[in-house]
Amino acid sequence: MNVLIAEDETIIRLDLKGLLEKNGFRVCGEARNGAEAVELARTCEPDVALLDLRMPVVDGAEAARRIYAERPIPIVMLTAFSDRANVEKAIAAGVFTYLTKPFRETDLVPAIRLAVARHTELLAARRTIGKTPPPARIEIRLPSHSGHHWPLRVQRTADGSVGVVLDGETA
Amino acid sequence: MRVLVAEDETLIRLDLTGMLQSAGFEVCAEARDGVEAVELARSELPDLAVLDVKMPRLDGIESARRILDERPIPIVIVSAYTETSLVERAAEAGVFGYLSKPFREEDLLPAIATARARFGQLAAVRDQVETLAEALAARKVIERAKGILMEKDGLTEDAAFGRLRKASQTSGRPLRVIAEAVVATMG
Repeated sequence: MNVLIAEDETIIRLDLKGLLEKNGFRVCGEARNGAEAVELARTCEPDVALLDLRMPVVDGAEAARRIYAERPIPIVMLTAFSDRANVEKAIAAGVFTYLTKPFRETDLVPAIRLAVARHTELLAARRTIGKTPPPARIEIRLPSHSGHHWPLRVQRTADGSVGVVLDGETA
Repeated sequence: MRVLVAEDETLIRLDLTGMLQSAGFEVCAEARDGVEAVELARSELPDLAVLDVKMPRLDGIESARRILDERPIPIVIVSAYTETSLVERAAEAGVFGYLSKPFREEDLLPAIATARARFGQLAAVRDQVETLAEALAARKVIERAKGILMEKDGLTEDAAFGRLRKASQTSGRPLRVIAEAVVATMG
């Protein structure tokens, strides 16, 4: 599994990399700020991203939003600040889970595993929707001189075909 | 926000309950083992559950699986054990968070907040899948009923649909129910 990490503090970044590699993950990119993270997400094909919230140039929440828009992968936010406002900001950016520094190896690995599992389910459900043509029906009522209202139905059926029916009955 | 807490160690359970209450959650049920957790989830209908892994009778992960089978809610597991096999089981069971003990308030609250948000997102997408599947099933049975009427009564497609629709309007029953009745009696 490819992991992209973004953390401006070198020591924490190295520590994070070591922890991940020890647990069988491959670190495919190491970014020092949010802009680099967005760039690396385009090229290093990550399956998951770990982003620090407070980073120069582009912060973690904004980087999360940009990465997710281009490549839907689960994002884990790391931060020293777990106040409500920061958590809400991360959630709004689409972050899957949130770890407070100093984080422990015993929290990091489960957080990644669970984020990947739940995100896979989310993508699968979205794909099902994408594959199902919604049976839609639009009804337009056409008034006539006799005072009747003739419903004109345009409908897309389950097989994806579209039919137009001028119904003979007033409804 | 009503929370079910399951933890066999009384002190940790009290601590967890206190943390949740001071953060504004209502702890609606406290279970001392996994079986109790499943039962309380059924009777108290919590919005969220925090479950310990190692509990008597039934472990937290198996009880999470049973709770989710009956009524999906966001679940956060708390555990002194973080072996890969446990984490994998938790991932398969469908839980949204896994925290190792001892945890801090600043670990628990963000884990709950993100679990709620992402669970809500998944639930909304799943509802949409279900609605689409239902609409698709309704459409299929209506098409079939139409076909039966066309064949057995020699009607045109429009006339067949008109008949179904009229029956639906006069009886006040959904088109799908009428179509199912046609398929059951004439098909």
